[in-house]
Amino acid sequence: MAAVEPMDIEVAEQRLKAMEHSEQHYFNSYNHHGIHEEMLKDEVRTRSYMNAIVQNKHLFKDKVVLDVGCGTAILSMFAVKAGAKHVIGVDMSTIIFKAREIVKVNGMEDKITLIQGKMEEIEIPFPKVDIIISEWMGYFLLYESMLDTVLYARDKFLAKDGLIFPDKATIFVAGIEDGDYKDEKIGFWDNVYGFNYSPLKETALSEPLVDTVEVKAVVTDPTAVLTLDLYTCTTADLAFSCPFDLIARRDDFIHALVAWFDIEFTACHKPVRFSTGPHTKYTHWKQTVFYLKDVLTVQQGEKVECSLHNRPNEKNKRDLDIKVQYRLDTQDPTRTAEGQCLYKMC
Amino acid sequence: MSESYPRSDSDVSTSGDEAEWLDTNNSDDEQEEAPAITSLVDNRVFPDAESMLAYCKTERGLDFLAVRDRLGLDFHGMVKLINFIRKSVHEGTALPAEISAADLEGDGLLKPVLDDDALILCLDDLPPPASTAVAGKEKAAAPASAAEAPQVDALLQKNAELQAEIEQLAKQFTSYRLAVQETLDQRWKADEEPDDVPSKNEPKKDDSAYYFESYAHNDIHEVMLKDAVRTDAYRDFIYGNKHLFAGKVVLDIGCGTGILSMFCAKAGAKTVIAVDKSDIIDKARENIFANGLSDTITCLKGRIEEVVLPVAKVDMIVSEWMGYALLYEAMLPSVLYARDRYLAPDGLLVPSHCNLWVAPVADAEYVADHIAFWRDVYGFDMQPMQRDIYADSRVQTMNPAALCGTPSAFRSLDLHTVAVGELVFSAKWESTLAADVSGALDGFLVWWDCFFAQSRDEPGITPSITAQEWSASGGRDAKEEDRVAFTTGPFGTETHWKQILFLIDNKKKAPKQLGEAEAGKKISGELEYITAEGHARGLKIKITWGLEEEGEKKDQVWALN
Repeated sequence: MAAVEPMDIEVAEQRLKAMEHSEQHYFNSYNHHGIHEEMLKDEVRTRSYMNAIVQNKHLFKDKVVLDVGCGTAILSMFAVKAGAKHVIGVDMSTIIFKAREIVKVNGMEDKITLIQGKMEEIEIPFPKVDIIISEWMGYFLLYESMLDTVLYARDKFLAKDGLIFPDKATIFVAGIEDGDYKDEKIGFWDNVYGFNYSPLKETALSEPLVDTVEVKAVVTDPTAVLTLDLYTCTTADLAFSCPFDLIARRDDFIHALVAWFDIEFTACHKPVRFSTGPHTKYTHWKQTVFYLKDVLTVQQGEKVECSLHNRPNEKNKRDLDIKVQYRLDTQDPTRTAEGQCLYKMC
Repeated sequence: MSESYPRSDSDVSTSGDEAEWLDTNNSDDEQEEAPAITSLVDNRVFPDAESMLAYCKTERGLDFLAVRDRLGLDFHGMVKLINFIRKSVHEGTALPAEISAADLEGDGLLKPVLDDDALILCLDDLPPPASTAVAGKEKAAAPASAAEAPQVDALLQKNAELQAEIEQLAKQFTSYRLAVQETLDQRWKADEEPDDVPSKNEPKKDDSAYYFESYAHNDIHEVMLKDAVRTDAYRDFIYGNKHLFAGKVVLDIGCGTGILSMFCAKAGAKTVIAVDKSDIIDKARENIFANGLSDTITCLKGRIEEVVLPVAKVDMIVSEWMGYALLYEAMLPSVLYARDRYLAPDGLLVPSHCNLWVAPVADAEYVADHIAFWRDVYGFDMQPMQRDIYADSRVQTMNPAALCGTPSAFRSLDLHTVAVGELVFSAKWESTLAADVSGALDGFLVWWDCFFAQSRDEPGITPSITAQEWSASGGRDAKEEDRVAFTTGPFGTETHWKQILFLIDNKKKAPKQLGEAEAGKKISGELEYITAEGHARGLKIKITWGLEEEGEKKDQVWALN
């Protein structure tokens, strides 16, 4: 087997060490094979990419493709299978040295060039690329996401009329009844082995919870709070504020908001899309739950006026500062509620 | 909802207690004296202002009198406050968390929201503010009639109680301020220390920084606290042995959220010193304050090797220092450092002993799921991914059925006597293969048991005893808490430490196929704990193995990370 030059790995590790600590952690976390196993075994994710690429040979044939954050190079290899002339895979993590070996084992080393480095700092062997493929999504779509890198690559390398796979992402929000679990996660801190742990309760409330939510817990209609068109959006769009209304489907309580995202490959002959919501198959992104301070008591048809504000943290742009405001205005003053909660995904 | 107050008309019409209701609210005489007062927060009706305000306070958290006193409102101010609240409720807008003087500005609020608002009519009858020296309140100070005397006495007593409560709160506040001051001082001091200032030009030299940062988040503490095997063991030992803790000075190393310190304080310790380098200690300090244990527990932020303890010696060291494979990310050297420097000669370590175990594993299904998987990933061969698998150990809870031989105790640590240098070691192990052994030898599983002795010379914790055997060996009179111990192995309840799986690279070394011929035979070798180069908290483990009749042993090295 073509062993990787130990020097390459050493140089890469030196570069990683010189980075900001949070960045280092981000890239290092992708060095472990466990995370790649989890992502590859996420069938919804991997199969959607495979279908979007392999079923669209007419789009990929003889094209130059850029794979942003290529990891184990699975998407690059799909692109070769779909007839791409050449694929350039870029990743900062040292997983790319494994990817080189994998590409070779699969006899695609002539078709795929893998480059270790930051997109912003590397040179690629083609002036422009025809297609960008990337699996850049993080929890809550944007947490620890690589979208800024994809947009950078789009602006610098994508040919006019080039394609982006995927090209559309939408974040949805709904209200959920989650009394038992809220008690387990938040109420837990009220009594820890007989002690009052309320100082940790504040922190627990401010940390959105990545977990799966059962569809029967969803009390309101879902509402889209952000739609990104990857051909036109900019990094400025990642800081957004969106007012929205949640309409109760039934008489119930709302303990939290749940957020998820849908992904679309609209360029495909037969559009490919997948959702990470509670109504469909499990993905490793699960859903993101934001517990509210209040419990809202809603009746069918009632409206909760909400707004969601999201912006990347100033110190670490991969962290998110999120604010949720809510207001339930009813004829019954005892159920009227209004408040705001601040969250930090870090 | 409370049933102790008469309900409003619509509700009461269906109530069986109508007579009583009529008696309270509809009797003509009484109505003149005590007109019905509508609640500030809904349309319930009360016979007098005091019960209505009590209802608002207990049921809705609206303390009208407290707001009045806080803002120092006069008659007009109170009228405005009433109308402000009624207006908000009427319009369905939420009241501010704290009503301010600005909310009551303007004369518009003097206009009653309710016609003939009975509450406004009886404002002068409300209890006076807590500070009695308010001018112009002669009425409240009017001499009490004989009939009112018991009530006055009750009020005076209540007043005295409240004043005592205020004093108590003021005292607590002072100590809280001290605690906050201490925290801030430490933070500022930390900021001044040059080695804590991150430098972009210099690669980071401290492997431990990330270790400490990782403990600053909530979720890791939630996982540890909710690991009942772990937390119950400490609790059972500490609460079950109060005589050991009463009046003692205890040191808690790596205190986290402060749970063990608080157990010790509750068990009667005179002083507990809680030390942690992670930012979580700021939360520990708050937790300790919230539980009224600040007088007993002192929190110190920093490494145990660097902080200055307020005492020369401690009677006990309590610590939850155990890591994966016991010694990974080891805090144990810090505990041993503190033992040598601070522990009194007859002092006790909690826990006191650990026994390490290894057993051979044969689990074809696991190997297929996690190893063979890479040979066909959506039609691609990702064989290169397999090499890492054998270089690293895996943190994994295994089913006892995965073991293909008897567990072997390969190392025992008496924490009272073990030296730091002995934490890297090489030890022999030996296992008897199971009668139904079959398939390839896939790897080895390592775990540990932990013991809480009541004295330094506790008998019976032998190098090869299991937690379960020791707990059960307490004798007929023994209470359960007498022998506290737990296992992290595959035969016990799962803990957050899980077990550590070392997979044999069977491609490099032709897999040993085990079958009937091998059943009941001995497999043995050595197991070595090696400090990983360039990573102070890292750990490498080398295992050698072979069947007895085989001359040459095989070996492999794994990293924990």
